[in-house]
Amino acid sequence: MNKTDIAIAGCGAVTATGLGMELLQRAVAANASALQQREWVIGKTSQTVVAGFIADEIVGQLRAADAVHADSRAFLFAAAALQEAAFQTKNILNSVPATRRGLVLSTTKANIEALDKLVRKQPVSAVAQRQIQPAFLAADLAAAFDFRGPVQCVSAACISGLSALQQGAALIRRGLADLVFVAGVDLISQFVLSGFNSLKSLDPDGCRPFDKSRIGLSLGEGAAAIILVKRERLSSPAILLSGCGTSNDANHLTGPSRDGSGLALAIQRALAKAQIAPDKIDYINAHGTGTPYNDAMESLALRAVFGDRVPPFSSSKGIFGHTLGTAGVLETALCVAAMQNNLLPGTPRLRERDPVAPDSLLAEPRTAAKLDYILKINCGFGGTNAAQVLERELP
Amino acid sequence: MEPLIEELKAKIIAGFNLEGVTPADINSDEPIFGTGLELDSIDALELVAILESDYGIVITERSVADKAFASLRALAEFVAANRT
Amino acid sequence: MKNFTIHAAGYLGPEGFGNDQTGLRNWPPLLKEDLARGEFDGLHWSLLSDSDPSRFLRMNLMCRLGFLAAELLAVNFDALPNARRDKLGVCVESFTGSLDTDIRFEQTPRPSIFAYTLPSTVIGEICIRHRLKGPVLSLISPNSNGESILTEAAEWLRDGDAEMVLCLGIEAINRSTANSISLPEDLSPRGWHGAALLLGRSGNSPREKPLANGALSEVCRNLCLAPERAC
Repeated sequence: MNKTDIAIAGCGAVTATGLGMELLQRAVAANASALQQREWVIGKTSQTVVAGFIADEIVGQLRAADAVHADSRAFLFAAAALQEAAFQTKNILNSVPATRRGLVLSTTKANIEALDKLVRKQPVSAVAQRQIQPAFLAADLAAAFDFRGPVQCVSAACISGLSALQQGAALIRRGLADLVFVAGVDLISQFVLSGFNSLKSLDPDGCRPFDKSRIGLSLGEGAAAIILVKRERLSSPAILLSGCGTSNDANHLTGPSRDGSGLALAIQRALAKAQIAPDKIDYINAHGTGTPYNDAMESLALRAVFGDRVPPFSSSKGIFGHTLGTAGVLETALCVAAMQNNLLPGTPRLRERDPVAPDSLLAEPRTAAKLDYILKINCGFGGTNAAQVLERELP
Repeated sequence: MEPLIEELKAKIIAGFNLEGVTPADINSDEPIFGTGLELDSIDALELVAILESDYGIVITERSVADKAFASLRALAEFVAANRT
Repeated sequence: MKNFTIHAAGYLGPEGFGNDQTGLRNWPPLLKEDLARGEFDGLHWSLLSDSDPSRFLRMNLMCRLGFLAAELLAVNFDALPNARRDKLGVCVESFTGSLDTDIRFEQTPRPSIFAYTLPSTVIGEICIRHRLKGPVLSLISPNSNGESILTEAAEWLRDGDAEMVLCLGIEAINRSTANSISLPEDLSPRGWHGAALLLGRSGNSPREKPLANGALSEVCRNLCLAPERAC
């Protein structure tokens, strides 16, 4: 099949910015950060954590509407994002039989909060426990939305989201589904906070991607959903999920390769699949977590691929944090919105660009003269890398 | 200082799963990281975690860790001076 | 899929350990008892060879099984030129994933354990060891037998994304770890295994087998139970 055969029909999101894509886009336009400060006990000490928490009011709202899943925030968030995406595309959805609708879930730890509680012998419902298992969370979400086609679950660290989009596209190309919901979800939990804290990779004051004085990342929680269909089901101009590439650094488990060659390889693979030269890319949404190593490595990778003509790029993690398994889906949805609004996102929380980062780094949002090709990249634990090209058809 | 050095060697051997390594094999005056024990950056973080849980010492600055990990002897002196 | 074949199969499970050439060897009696009870700490590199890769003891259960299964393939990855290693993909499918390690991390929140609380870490460990830079994929699925991963790998080969693919199916949890928190029964796997298949283009190697239909762990087990020894 032609590389330009899979289109994005709709998106949904729930993040620190609030419920829905509209609030996310407002945050992008305002270059605002939705990171919040909370006290959290890690080990024996109470620490201040700045992260992309989902507001209590939103959690309360979602719980009130779904008592069965009240203590499974992973389900509640994913369902909310899926609901928004489904609503946006209800005409197409209604024309696709349930057996031809598929779901691909992207998550690193699913409903891990339930494991936190189980280990500490705190009360937790059977449903919440069941959804510790990512495959069951995926199955339950599919059942809730009456998707009776193929269901898959990707768990590949921080590249899960882009990998899940690739899997969704493959299901359609293979003829197993006509419409695939790709959903990403992950939570800020005791498990994840204490883990990243033990690796000393958090910035207690909040992340500053690509900043000269950056010292770490901020976690984020939430969900995002993207609906994929065959191009012919949409009227033009469509936004297409074009080439994708993955790779492994083969260097170190928790530190990216020093020279960025693994990420550069993933980007080159994506461009080759998309059948475009690097100079066609109009904007890059980086992984940009704010750790000293990641952002330096990404800068090297971008220079390796684009030479001294790195397209405008930015990191959005200052808005909602590093959402782990959600990141690839959420940040792709953000790129889709960028294309729809013709607005290149900035890099919230940036004060002074690290000289190591290419000078095409966007501090503030900017109206795009041309926004036909976007490159989305993510890197994960274990040295994994993924890159995805989005293409907007000309009218 | 010697008993504390031996205690720390035992914790390192156990904590990093260094099978077949005895305390006598670890030189008290050589750098802990970057030499024969083949320890890496996760192990350095692990040592920081052990210092927190077993001695109540919280290290937040990399420079402090670098000095303390210069050798087993340096580590023992650091622990003796800062343990709670 | 006619143009692709299985170049090697490696397997560890209750039935024993081995590959498609040697067949399955029995576990040493004491270890066999431990494994039957669902205790995996005794699975050591020394089963296969004397030289211990230093990382092995740091690794969690999932990575140890994957590492051992890949080693059992008896394929000399290091003899491959870099260009071929750049096109060697690695994919893994599991039901339990890193759950054993997740529980241990909850109980002892150390950075060295946290590094292993992801099912995709085994991909990282193997890629680091053999310097593989091909495409990667990590799936969690409700069946323990790795039913999806062979389809994915075959597509990579067909589309030219990879020239060879190392497919892993890994399943295990230490019974004592699961019992320590009264883990709900449906979150535990049925049985355990570490299975590795190396897929590639059809060539002239006598060791090659046709790419069979079926789930990864079953295909792998069958090949290792009925080895064809070279005369």
